Amino acid sequence: MSREKFFKLLKNLKLFWFYRELLINLAKREISARYKQSILGYAWVIINPLSQLVVLSFVFSTILKVPSLGVPYIVFLSVALLPWNLFQLSLTSSSGVLVQNSSLITKIYFPREILVYSTIIAKIIDFSFSLVILAILIAIFRVPIYWSILWVPIIFAIQIIFTLGISLFVSAFNLFYRDIQYLLTLFLLVWFYLTPIAYPIEAIPEKFQFVMSLNPMAVIINAYREVIIGGGHPNITSLLTGLIISMLIFTVSFLLFKKLERSFADYV
Amino acid sequence: MSNKNYAVIAENLHKSYSLQRHKTFKEFLPALFLKDKLFNRFEALKGINFELEQGKSLGLIGSNGSGKSTLLKLIAGVTKPSDGRITINGTVAPLIELGAGFHPELTGRENVYLNGSILGKRKKDMDKLFKNIVDFAGLWEFIDQPVKHYSSGMYMRLAFSVAVSETPDILLVDEILSVGDIDFQKKCLQKINEFKKSGSTLIMVSHSIEQIQNYCDVGLTLSSGNQLFFGNIDKAIEKYKQSL
Repeated sequence: MSREKFFKLLKNLKLFWFYRELLINLAKREISARYKQSILGYAWVIINPLSQLVVLSFVFSTILKVPSLGVPYIVFLSVALLPWNLFQLSLTSSSGVLVQNSSLITKIYFPREILVYSTIIAKIIDFSFSLVILAILIAIFRVPIYWSILWVPIIFAIQIIFTLGISLFVSAFNLFYRDIQYLLTLFLLVWFYLTPIAYPIEAIPEKFQFVMSLNPMAVIINAYREVIIGGGHPNITSLLTGLIISMLIFTVSFLLFKKLERSFADYV
Repeated sequence: MSNKNYAVIAENLHKSYSLQRHKTFKEFLPALFLKDKLFNRFEALKGINFELEQGKSLGLIGSNGSGKSTLLKLIAGVTKPSDGRITINGTVAPLIELGAGFHPELTGRENVYLNGSILGKRKKDMDKLFKNIVDFAGLWEFIDQPVKHYSSGMYMRLAFSVAVSETPDILLVDEILSVGDIDFQKKCLQKINEFKKSGSTLIMVSHSIEQIQNYCDVGLTLSSGNQLFFGNIDKAIEKYKQSL
């Protein structure tokens, strides 16, 4: 990295720090504005995934008899589905966030990635409330808890880096071509089924297993399951690979985003 | 001569946009292979030159599509010039248009803080400014109501009050002072005069010639991206009328 580029990066970081309150306020705006004028309000953050869990459990466990590693299927599912929902909701809301704030983008300067980060922060807060469901399920079914659960923050950090990377990319390109948001919906649907969320990774035939190691979300979801339900270490090699891939995607997306940012106001 | 005495210096400023010629994928794909021209260049500003002294107020005059808003965007720093240079000395506070920095479901109070942080102000500074902001807007009664219940005049008053709560070096006003009743307009005029006295610079766009004449002492006349005139406001308005 050249000296000049390094100083540019420092300047960027300083500017970002200057706008930290905006980041928090935009996240707050999203959370507090969303469920205003609704009777159930914030409870929707729990009702939504809960109904999803019930329906998917009925289909995959009661009808299709998918194995679930010796714990009740709904627990097995929620360990994977709740983080997946965070990923999916972060991406869909990031894809539209720049377009929705076009009136700000054309009027006033601030680092644009703040818009993307703030919507993801809002989703993380929703996610942490939805964890109540998991806690209650674990209590009801008396699922044993292991020390390995301490791995969760590390896996979560990798998930967030990966999410940020994809989100920056998606948000910037959707500003130029709105096709991206429709493509994303389709893509996420396929991705959901190609990730071991509703079924255990062991159910995949041996010859297709390598596909999973190329899918960072599969690595992340499977790691959650191993440390929460399985009570063992996650696979360190695949987790490390996941981390490296995530950081690479984040760096490339960030640089691309900053490059494109200059022309956002001309195209939005 | 030091640059410091100038709030804005524009040197041979050009801005062009690429307009995509083929809007749909069906049109776009063959064009890509046939090496057809994918974009049309549209020149919004062609060689703008001016030096605006600090403490002056500048009115941008021109018909629709003459490049006024593009110039304002360049001054606000949200877009970069295609050619030439623009130098800004000091902080720029744009008066954000209706609805942009405000969320209809949030209360006036929440919106004041949100708007403040968009303008880069700290919460602790906003705490100090809050009373003045609401006083100036005259909205104490409604401050804890969601702003979707506000009239557009009330909305505007609140936005204006946040933007002017702290003396910015350069205030950008885009076609919005027309909202608000006569009383509030008087207050705005007074506030702007105070600003000018304290050395702030005002740059405004309005279709109302009368308003421009009231607020501004220099004018920049634009016609389809070309600079027709820069200087005394009365002469600038005269040039504009001639160009019609």
